[in-house]
Amino acid sequence: MKNKAMSAALVAGAVATAVAGLSVTTPAHAQAKEKCYGISLKGKNDCKAGPGTTCAGSSTVDYQGNAWTLVPKGDCVKFGTAGGDFALPDGRQGSLTELDRDLPQA
Amino acid sequence: MQADRISRERKAPDGNGDFGQALLDASLPSPDGVIGPDGKPAPKRFNVYRNNVIVSLIEALGDTFVAVRRLLGDGYFGALAREYIVHHPPTSPVLIWYGKSFPNFMAGFPPLQAYPYIADVGRLEWAWLQSYHAADAEPLDPAVLGDVAPDAVGQVRIERHPAARLISSPWPIYSLIQANRFAPDDPPAVDMQEGQDVLVARPEIEVDLLCLPPGGAAFLEALFDGAALEDAAGRALTAAPEFQLPVCLQTALSAGVFSALVPDNGQGHLSAKDDATRGAL
Repeated sequence: MKNKAMSAALVAGAVATAVAGLSVTTPAHAQAKEKCYGISLKGKNDCKAGPGTTCAGSSTVDYQGNAWTLVPKGDCVKFGTAGGDFALPDGRQGSLTELDRDLPQA
Repeated sequence: MQADRISRERKAPDGNGDFGQALLDASLPSPDGVIGPDGKPAPKRFNVYRNNVIVSLIEALGDTFVAVRRLLGDGYFGALAREYIVHHPPTSPVLIWYGKSFPNFMAGFPPLQAYPYIADVGRLEWAWLQSYHAADAEPLDPAVLGDVAPDAVGQVRIERHPAARLISSPWPIYSLIQANRFAPDDPPAVDMQEGQDVLVARPEIEVDLLCLPPGGAAFLEALFDGAALEDAAGRALTAAPEFQLPVCLQTALSAGVFSALVPDNGQGHLSAKDDATRGAL
């Protein structure tokens, strides 16, 4: 079967349409998430690494510093600084990197 | 090469392969040298170990093929997995790499002939796991493509993002995996007459599944194979006359399935093969 062809001008127009549509209406990865450390209640941390690596729900103290939960991008820094759902007790804050506070007793 | 080495080690930890074979075949006696504290052979202890090995592998397959297990039921899945494990034991100690041939095994398993869609659901679940564990990479910024001169953009080649996968099926595998794994509480309607082409992407942390419109699979397959944009669009039109280039390109760009434009080497025919040749020179 012979391939149908699409003209260069049509392709260029389609690229322009696709790229313009993206920059105006839907920024790429609008639903992006980030790992946020130190905000999970015990047993509620995320981890989806597949078989053989069960770490989801393995944190043993509240707000464990080396356990993370996925949150919408940009929300992590709000934990502990903004009120409402973002409130954390005793001056704790969420962090994009691992923390050494609230670690379980070895 | 690496897999070969590991495979040999697995078959012959004691130098003659008895141990590994006896683990998977309950009709074989417990291997020589397996003894209890009293110095006597300990077949019961070996059976406990044998059982743990098989059960943990069944569980690993069940964690990877969640929708398949749900579709078949725990009992059937366990028996099927046991059959697979005995014939296809792991060749790597890494469990996330175990089960690649499981979909093909299901496709060739006579009792499952009446359920031909099961193997394709398995292929999609395998693609999901591989996408999850693929290398991280920054997705292509759509503006980079937008900046290419209009008279050159048709000849542009685009690199596949390391986590991007494409699974095409004559069965509604997207609806089936949603209903049986990702959205069991809000399942989509499943029309068994409908084929679905599913794009698997992981631009950041979470794996996304997208159902492609007509021609989308042919278009992306061509691009992932190294075809230029204009050529890929032509192939998609051939596969599906209703193919819409702007829609499919926008879907792919926003899903993050590209990582970069392939640099033009001046000949306009850069492909993986040319790349390898250049590397050799």
